[in-house]
Formats: sequence, structure tokens, C-alpha cells
Amino acid sequence: MLDFFTIFSKGGIVLWCFQGAGVSESFTGPVNALIRSVILQERGGNNSFTHEALSLKYKLDNEFELIFVVGFQKILTLTYVDKFIDDVQLHFRDRYKNELEQKGALKLLNNTFDFEDRFKKLLREAEVTSKARSPVPMRSFKESEKSQKTVKSMIETKGGDKSKEQGGKKNKNTKKEAPAVEPPKGDQGKTPPFGQKDVLNGNQGLTPEEIMQKKREDFFRKRKMGPTEKPSKSPKPQKPKEKVNRVWENAGSSSKNLDYSNKNGENSSGEDQKNLEAQFDPEMQVSSMKGDLLSVDYESSEEEEMEEEEEEVVDSKTSVKKSGGFGGMFGMLKGLVGSKSLSREDMEPVLEKMKDHLIAKNVAADISSQLCESVAKKLEGKVMGTFTTVASTVKQALQDSLVQILQPKRRVDILRDVMDAQSQRRPFVITFCGVNGVGKSTNLAKISYWLIENGFSVLIAACDTFRAGAVEQLRTHQRRLNSLHPPEKHGGRPVVQLYEKGYGKDAAGIAMEAIAYARNQTFDVVLVDTAGRMQDNAPLMTALAKLIAVNMPDLVLFVGEALVGNEAVDQLVKFNQALADHSMSDKPRLIDGIVLTKFDTIDDKVGAAISMTYITGQPIVFVGTGQTYNDLRSLNARAVVGALMKA
Amino acid sequence: MTENPLEPYIESLRRQLEEQDPVVLVGVIVALAVVVITCVFLKYFLTSKTVRSAVLLVGLCDSGKTLLFIRLLSGKFKRTQTSITDSSAPYKAKNDRSCTWTLIDLPGHDSLRSQYLEKFKSAARAIVFVVDSAIFQKEVRDVAEFLYMLLTDPVVCRITPTLLVICNKQDVAMAKSAKLIQQQLEKELNTLRVTRSAALSAQDGSVGGSVYLGKKGKDFEFSQLPMKVEFLECSARGSKGTNLRRGASAVLPNNQRRGDETLLWLCATSTS
Repeated sequence: MLDFFTIFSKGGIVLWCFQGAGVSESFTGPVNALIRSVILQERGGNNSFTHEALSLKYKLDNEFELIFVVGFQKILTLTYVDKFIDDVQLHFRDRYKNELEQKGALKLLNNTFDFEDRFKKLLREAEVTSKARSPVPMRSFKESEKSQKTVKSMIETKGGDKSKEQGGKKNKNTKKEAPAVEPPKGDQGKTPPFGQKDVLNGNQGLTPEEIMQKKREDFFRKRKMGPTEKPSKSPKPQKPKEKVNRVWENAGSSSKNLDYSNKNGENSSGEDQKNLEAQFDPEMQVSSMKGDLLSVDYESSEEEEMEEEEEEVVDSKTSVKKSGGFGGMFGMLKGLVGSKSLSREDMEPVLEKMKDHLIAKNVAADISSQLCESVAKKLEGKVMGTFTTVASTVKQALQDSLVQILQPKRRVDILRDVMDAQSQRRPFVITFCGVNGVGKSTNLAKISYWLIENGFSVLIAACDTFRAGAVEQLRTHQRRLNSLHPPEKHGGRPVVQLYEKGYGKDAAGIAMEAIAYARNQTFDVVLVDTAGRMQDNAPLMTALAKLIAVNMPDLVLFVGEALVGNEAVDQLVKFNQALADHSMSDKPRLIDGIVLTKFDTIDDKVGAAISMTYITGQPIVFVGTGQTYNDLRSLNARAVVGALMKA
Repeated sequence: MTENPLEPYIESLRRQLEEQDPVVLVGVIVALAVVVITCVFLKYFLTSKTVRSAVLLVGLCDSGKTLLFIRLLSGKFKRTQTSITDSSAPYKAKNDRSCTWTLIDLPGHDSLRSQYLEKFKSAARAIVFVVDSAIFQKEVRDVAEFLYMLLTDPVVCRITPTLLVICNKQDVAMAKSAKLIQQQLEKELNTLRVTRSAALSAQDGSVGGSVYLGKKGKDFEFSQLPMKVEFLECSARGSKGTNLRRGASAVLPNNQRRGDETLLWLCATSTS
């Protein structure tokens, strides 16, 4: 049923592969597509990928730098695949542990990995178990909880009976959750041990505030009592989400409660946590605000994080009782030296922090979480070297991923392409699109100035026929550029010309005529300025898509401002969607590049660059840093990532 | 005369030393000795030259670097996928010449190549640039851009490693010859050095690549470069009748030079 299964190293050498019966096509193409679109673009959050008719699932083994990929037909829904990959990974590692632990690439070349029979056995087992597990039949009424409850218990009465009712409701809720867990388990074939699944559900069942409170409690408890307490890293007992009767502090249930004279924290369970927090809060403030205020450095908070982490790690390893301060120091040393492999729990707090840091730097929220997820997948199980902490490893990995995202995936050299078009005697057409007010016309003028400086002649097509003053604005720019580069110096011909047909006409028609005119008059570049439009405005998006589909420009540039936050995701997705939907051809022209404008208005909140490149996968071609003609730059990936990771 | 100002100080020092406990004196002397020895060691280690013994395999994506790497090391033929990290292994030449280098295969994907190059370029003794001869015509500009980036890199210009351009995939019928590839690259680099120097500076003001390739005023040729450049044809897959067990003829170039000899040639011509 599987089409293929491969095991290859991260360096590209295939260790072992299996091709299903009757499959003749090579799987190299789909696997390469998987690598390029998922792993290299940091979309490693979910582990499945579809390529034409095949559906691929993969798993990274970061300790030995291996990748396991399985492929099967998209129309089949195989339930055992996830568990199967995990099993295969475990067996492969166990069997070839000795060979894989050697250093260098020679180990992969000199050893042959005969995994065939083991693999076939595992495959048979997986298929058999998937068939054996039939869907859970519905319970009959007799078996359900409801039939066993007495009618009396379901009658609502004031006061005392509420607790019994809550108990009944609690049972119903847990029972409801358990069968709710079952069908997804059966459907998706995800079978981690049941306890683990409970924890996952349990943690997600709590609201984020409650998770934060729980974490805060753990922190305070640890701080107070030192690292002797084992914070529960094992599955916490679930608190089922029941409807607790809300107790109002100032409610008049009885006047006794309003008597605060001898109150000693004997509130009902709902307020316990709040009280605990109140007890701890003043303590924390008292000890930490002594002396000078801490600066907003990233380094100081990182050290706090490190300490908290190392203590946790020590606790899980040793249960020897040590006094608070000494244990902390020893724990930190132990965490630094020696090799230990990274696990999810180790990375969780650091990743959370990095995610918040990225969001604070204006990266879109779901992109930050996807990025952190992908980094976690990349680092899980990796063995850290000596003297490296979890925080530094994660930070380094995140930095590498960000640089990788910002690096252009194709050659970006506009001058070279213009020369190419020149030799083919056709004009090079660039179209600018974007929402209102991002700086399309301004940056168009800057780009034409740059092109003129390099000796090309430019035709500006005024396809913004809607906004008042758009054509006049472009005419002013044209006059200024011509005065800066007078025609006498450039062979008697004005270097910039404006092609306009006034207001209210069809933009696509004007663009087509402009390109024809440029071809006749042998202009080198045509810059097409379009009207700004909101991504939700369907008729305008259709008009833009028509303009681009009809005229087939060489470069479609999306102009986005650097101040935009989460909106960038929405804008780009909808623009790309519109361009794809309304084009008639098989290969629609999508956005080819991004112009990032108003870069001088942000100091180091440069997250918009990441959001935009992540969503489209296209490079940032120009960066606008001001309103004069000289304020045009190219993107330096390392500098942007440096500013992003800085405190 | 010069001793007069120093003498009272020397006298007082001597008196103080004599008054001190001998144990303390011994301690002070030992401490001084340790400091001196450490300084000597540091000086020795810091001024020793960093040995460059890496041969880097670079090139565009899908040009055959990983397969070349495998065949040079083991002579076997294995399937490969797109690399996402580097692979390195020590390589010993077949003759008894004690040249051991590290052969490093870098990923060719656009988003990864610059960061891996940053890591390894300072240790490079020779750079093997692999070109896919079959689809060269379509990729000319990308190949030239990568080569330009490599040749204008300040670290590379400083250490001038030997550059060997291997025109791979000669077993495909439409493959271009090494001479043609060399001419096309020279033409392309000629244009590139003009457009690249006119490129925009980065947003923080840094201007990349201020090195001008070759000589101004004349057309660019590879002989104008400070490093030794050579073009070779080869086929990593080997022709049909190859006996794969012969490790030495892992790479069968058309101009009769074996892969093994190629690397020997690299060893001979590279500057230490």
C-alpha cells in the first residue's frame, strides 16, 4: 500500500530505500520537493506534504542527522502511517546504533544497511493492527452513564444538592472526553501512549491563563523551597473543565462570609489559587526590586531562564536533597558539561520566550508559532555539545532559520534581467501592486531613478485611474527626473516618459497600450503603477488579476510597508489567491518579489520582513528607506536577523 | 648615575623580600613562573598558522556534488537527495603521498549555500565548482552569479584557493563541453561585474563585493584572476562499462584525467 519509503542522511546520501510493488516512478522528485518546500522553508510544523498524486509524511532524527520519508497515494487514507514511521525509526536506530555513532560521512558509505526484512515485518504488523482495530461501536443506552444516574440527582435544588449535581456533571464530562479521544485516535492513527494523549488534552483543556498560573505557582514553589521538589513533569492529573459554581466575593450568600475580621484564607476552592498568588506576589516584589532597576537587556532575563531550566533538569535526573543555593549552582554546572539530548520539555520555555520576542518585534503571530514549531522539530533529540546551554542552542537554531528564510531562493539581479530583455528587443515590464498608501508611486519613482542612473530608458504607465492626482503625481516625478538627467546628456531623448490616458479608463487596457508603445519606441523598462486596493475588495482584485494575466509582466512586485503587523499575512495571502484564481492559464503569475517600504520608520522591529518572505517564499527585492530618490536599498539578511534577535 | 634613583628602591625591595616568609616567596615565584609559561604557550599556539586542508565541493542545486563526493570517497554509486547539511570526510590520495585532506560537500540550495560557505571558506585549500553541463544553457546566469559571489568574496580573495570547475553530467547527450562553458562564463562574468558594482547598497550602508574581477578595460578572462583556475569534464555516473569496484577510476573524465589524479593535481598546484 505504500509507494515508497526512504531513509537518507541530512547530507543527502540515501541509506536505504523501498519501493512498493508496481511503482515504477522514481521518488527522488517528490522527496526533493518535500525537502525544498517544507524543511528548507521552515514549515516543519506539520509533518505531511502533498505533491501531485502522492502524500508524503516525514520524520527527522536529529541525533544521527537522518530523515525518514514515506509516500503513499493521496486518495488512500492510511491510518497506521504515523505510528509506522516512529516504529521504523526506533528499529533502525537500535539496529544500526554502532554504525551511526561514528563520525564523518564515511560511516554512511562504507556500511550497507540491510533493513529489508525488518521493514517488511514491521509493515505487515502495522497493516494487521490497523485492520484489527475496528471503529468503536456506539454505546447502548443501558451502558451509558445517564441511565445509571438517579432522577433525583438531576433535579436542581438550591444549596447543598449542587455539589452532587456537580459530581454527576463531572463524571459525564470525563466520559464525554474519553470517547471523544477514541474516534480521533481511530481515524488518524495517532497512537502515542494513552497517558500522554491525556496530558496533551489536559493541558489544552486549561485556558492559557490557568496554564500561566500553574507555571507561576511552580516557579514560586521552586524558588521558595529550592530544587528539592520535583515539579510534575509527568502527566498532571487532569482538571476536567466542569462548570464550577461561581462564588462572588461580595455576594450575600450569608452574612458570615462578609465578616473579614478573622479571615485566614479559608475561601472556597475557586479563590485558592488567587490567594496563593497574592501571598507569593509581595514576596517576589520585595526581594527583586532592591537596588537599581534592571535594564531591559535580553541577557539578564536569559540567565534567569537558564537557571530555572537547569534546576528543572537536575530535578528530573537526581532526587538527592540539596540546600537551595548550592543545588542551583551544581545543577547549572552539570547542565553545561556533558552531552545530553534535547527534549521537548527542555525547549518549551525557551521557545515560548523566543516566540513572544518575535511577536514583540512585529512578526505575525501565527508565523512566529510556526517558526518556533519548526525549530523545535529540527532540534528534538539533538545531542548538545559541552558548554552549550539549551537557550543558546535554540537561539542559534532560530537565527539560522531566520537567515535561511530571508535568503532569496532565486537569483535577484534586476539589471541583468533588463539587459537580457534589451538584447531580445523587448521592454522589461515591472508591475507594482499593494494596498492603499504603502508607497507604490514613491518607490516607483525611486526605482526609475536608479534605472536611469544605470543607463536605461524608462516608460511609466499610469494605470492608477482612480485616485485623484495619481497621474499628476507621476507627471511631477517625470519632470523632476528629466531635469536631473537632461535629455541632452542621454542622446537627445528624454530618459523618462509618462504614458497616461487620464482617469476612469480600464487599467489593463492602458497597460497593454503602454507596453506596445514602449516596444515601438524601444524603451528598456516599463513601470506600471496600479491603484491601491484592499485585499478584501473582490471586484478590484479581479481587475488587478486581469491586468497581470493579460499583460504578463516580467516582474510582479508587491509593495508592503514595514509597519504592518499581522495584516501582512492576510494581504499577501489574499493577493496571491486572487492572482491565482482569476488567471486563465495553468501556471498563473503570482507575486514575484516584495518591496518593503518605510523601513526608516521602524528601529529594530523588522519582523514584517520575515512575515512577508515566509508567507510567499519570494525575496525582498527593494527596501525603501525614505522619501528622496536616493533612499533605495537592497536587503541584508544578516543585519535584519541581527536586529531581530537583539534584545 | 642612572643607578642612583633605582638603588634606594632596590635596597628597600631587597630588605622587604628578606623580611618575608620563605613560603610566601616560593609561592610568588611559582605564580610568576606559571604566568610566564602560559604566555609562552599562548604565543606559540596563536602564531602557528592555521592549516587549511579542506577541499570544498560547491555548485548549484542538483549539479551532482553529493554523488561526486560519494564516488570519490568510496567508488560506489548511491542514490542521493537534496542535501540540507554539509558532509565531510577525510580523503587520502591513492599514491603514497601523504596528502590527506578533508573533502567537504556543501549544500547547493540557494537559501543554504551562503551560510555554509561562510563556515568553511576560511579553511579552503581548493574549491571544486560543479556545473551541470546538460542544462547549462538555462542556468548560465545562476552559475555565473554564484561564481561571481565566490570570486569576489574577501576571504576567498585573500587566501586564493585553487579553483577547479568540473563540468559534470557529460554522459547526457546534450552536455556542453568545458571549452564552451568557459567561454560562456567569461562573457557572463564580464557583464556581471558591471551590473553588480551598480547594485544597490544594503540598507545598513554596507556595500558588498567591492572587488573588481579581472582587469578594467579588458574583457574578463579566467587567466586574469589571482588564483589558478582549470576546467574539466567528467561524469559522476561513469560510462556504462565502468567497473565500479575500481576505486581509483571512480570519476571518468573525458580528457583522460582520473578523479584521483585530479585531486592530486589540486594538491600539487595549491599554495600552502
